[in-house]
Amino acid sequence: MAGTVTVRFYALLRRQLKTAAIEVEADGGSLLELLTRAEELAGQGFLDELLDPGNELLTGTIILVNGENVRLKDYLNTRVRAGDTVDLFSPAGGG
Amino acid sequence: MNGWMGKIIQIDLGSNRQQALPVTPETLRRFLGGRGLGVKLYTDLCPDPLDPFAAENALIFMTGPLTGTVMTSGRYQVVSRSPLTGTICDSSSGGSFGAVLKSAGLDGLVIRGRADHPVYLFINDGGIEVRDAADLWGLNTQQTQKAIHERTPAKTSVACIGPAGENRVPFAAIMNDRDRAAGRGGMGAIMGSKNLKAVAASGNRAVVIADPEAYQAMNARLDRAVDKNPVTGKSLQVLGTPVLVNVINAHGMFPTRNFRSGVFNDAEGISGEKIAETLLQRQSACYKCPIGCGRTTKTRNRQGEGPEYETVWAFGAQLGISDLTAIAEANYACNELGLDTITMGSTIGCAMELHEAGALGEKMLWGDANRLVGWVQDTACRRGFGAELGLGSRRLAAKYGRPELAMQVKGMEIPAYDPRGAQGMALSYATSNRGGCHMRGYMIMPEILGHPVFLDRFSTAGKPEIVALFQDIAAVVDSAILCRFLQFAMGISTFSEMLRAVTGLDFSDEELLTAGRRIYTLERLFNNRAGFMRADDTLPPRFFQEEFQTGSSRHRRVRLEEMLDAYYAVRGWDAQGAPSAATLAELGL
Ligand code: SF4
Repeated sequence: MAGTVTVRFYALLRRQLKTAAIEVEADGGSLLELLTRAEELAGQGFLDELLDPGNELLTGTIILVNGENVRLKDYLNTRVRAGDTVDLFSPAGGG
Repeated sequence: MNGWMGKIIQIDLGSNRQQALPVTPETLRRFLGGRGLGVKLYTDLCPDPLDPFAAENALIFMTGPLTGTVMTSGRYQVVSRSPLTGTICDSSSGGSFGAVLKSAGLDGLVIRGRADHPVYLFINDGGIEVRDAADLWGLNTQQTQKAIHERTPAKTSVACIGPAGENRVPFAAIMNDRDRAAGRGGMGAIMGSKNLKAVAASGNRAVVIADPEAYQAMNARLDRAVDKNPVTGKSLQVLGTPVLVNVINAHGMFPTRNFRSGVFNDAEGISGEKIAETLLQRQSACYKCPIGCGRTTKTRNRQGEGPEYETVWAFGAQLGISDLTAIAEANYACNELGLDTITMGSTIGCAMELHEAGALGEKMLWGDANRLVGWVQDTACRRGFGAELGLGSRRLAAKYGRPELAMQVKGMEIPAYDPRGAQGMALSYATSNRGGCHMRGYMIMPEILGHPVFLDRFSTAGKPEIVALFQDIAAVVDSAILCRFLQFAMGISTFSEMLRAVTGLDFSDEELLTAGRRIYTLERLFNNRAGFMRADDTLPPRFFQEEFQTGSSRHRRVRLEEMLDAYYAVRGWDAQGAPSAATLAELGL
């Protein structure tokens, strides 16, 4: 399946990775698989900023697929396809 | 006494008469301090709504039982009737002024009457002196603080007004510790109406801690909890509150051009990430705060504090402006002149839409960054069109025949979260006791940020209960007094533990939540007397009628009617939004 998914980094993730976005080859698989490949591409680990060791989203982590929170979709099993955008926010707060 | 200092003084600036106001231990326990006790004192002293600028109106500075003790306890609250909204109002500010006022021996200071010439109050170890401030009148807030520091002992802390307060702009702020603001609701204008330029405090009295051992152990544990939490231990420190720009924009609810879009195309350019790369010099912190969300910043010509998230929005997306330097400098100007940035920015945005709609001749154009600081200055000084901006959005839009273009609730401008993107936040805005404010019940925490649990932002199910709970917890935090940002790392059970360790009273979580509910209901009672009923618990029509066409909150409207009756039922209020007799009896009101 041709095409890529755009993965955008925000908040502290962006500072850590020193990049705002990367393109990841899409294979129509799950979000977790895509993020694992994104980690390889980014050249450094970042999933521990978003997930706990049991692969549950940390309190405050926000992951949007095409603007929709994956907690309201299929969580880390949400299917991601070519042309999709994934936004990753490490826990952030303000007021 | 443990925790409290046991002293509240009332001073009449007309006669300079001072008197101690007795408060029973039972009242302290039921209303805590800060916002709660302030509202209790206010409604006892001024039961019938007064013109906020009437000499007899009370303006109350409050500390709380935790002030000057645990982390983030430097804050104070100011309570009165708002000249912007006509509702009861309390405004909170950080820095160290609260802790210093308490070290001067006071739980609270009630100011009534009007001085016949400009004065400031100097409170030193329990004594209050009225001092001449004729030569301070007209100075900005930073000049005022500096001048008072030169005539008072070292470590004096000053809360003051600038020209905006002197000119009774109804959204004038009180500023302390240079750039900390009791911003919302125009408490600074009431100071101006009393010819009161500043309150300066100094003292050496320690707060007596009931259980020093438990207190020490608790503090060490809480320091670790704050440090370990990714929001309080990292994000707020590195990126400050503007980290929310990208978060809220990605949710399609970053109000743009007077809430006509939820997506600002230049959000990246004004984001917290961008500020950290450009304007940021270093982080800064309030008294005993391990978080330090403050931003010390610099543009090419100026330096100061901020902008915070709300201000980045108010002078940025709300006006279609993406020039960070202009936003920061408008923020500095508001701090110096003593103005609330949210109402200021939102009112300018309202004027821009009025002009675009052909209702206002004055040329107010979207994206006009060059004139921004000028508009702020003219508003503070009530010059030219600034005199009209100084009305606030509700009065301005009404004057030009388009009241629906003011993005306000009960006269207070709604901040930087479009309610179409979060139904709970919408209900919270509509039922807030001081109008369009996010701090009465910050539903963005669960609906967007996922703290302490994640809720579906577009669902109305269960929201009435949760909004009421969040409002009650906020009332407790504002009365204790603590910083709201602690709530990312801890909850009500920690707050009750703090109160037990400091006061020695056996506060339970439940007792505190009841206190929160009591405080919220007392505020509501006052608002009912001031004429605010069900019809006022609403939002501008835009949020019920217009949908965004783009972004992830597109095709959504606020569904308030699904929540309001249930909310009243949870609160024990009748269908008109008035607390029932049974509710009043239950809360002892
Ligand atoms: S978190 Fe920020 S606002 Fe709160 S006390 Fe600390 S520095 Fe002040």
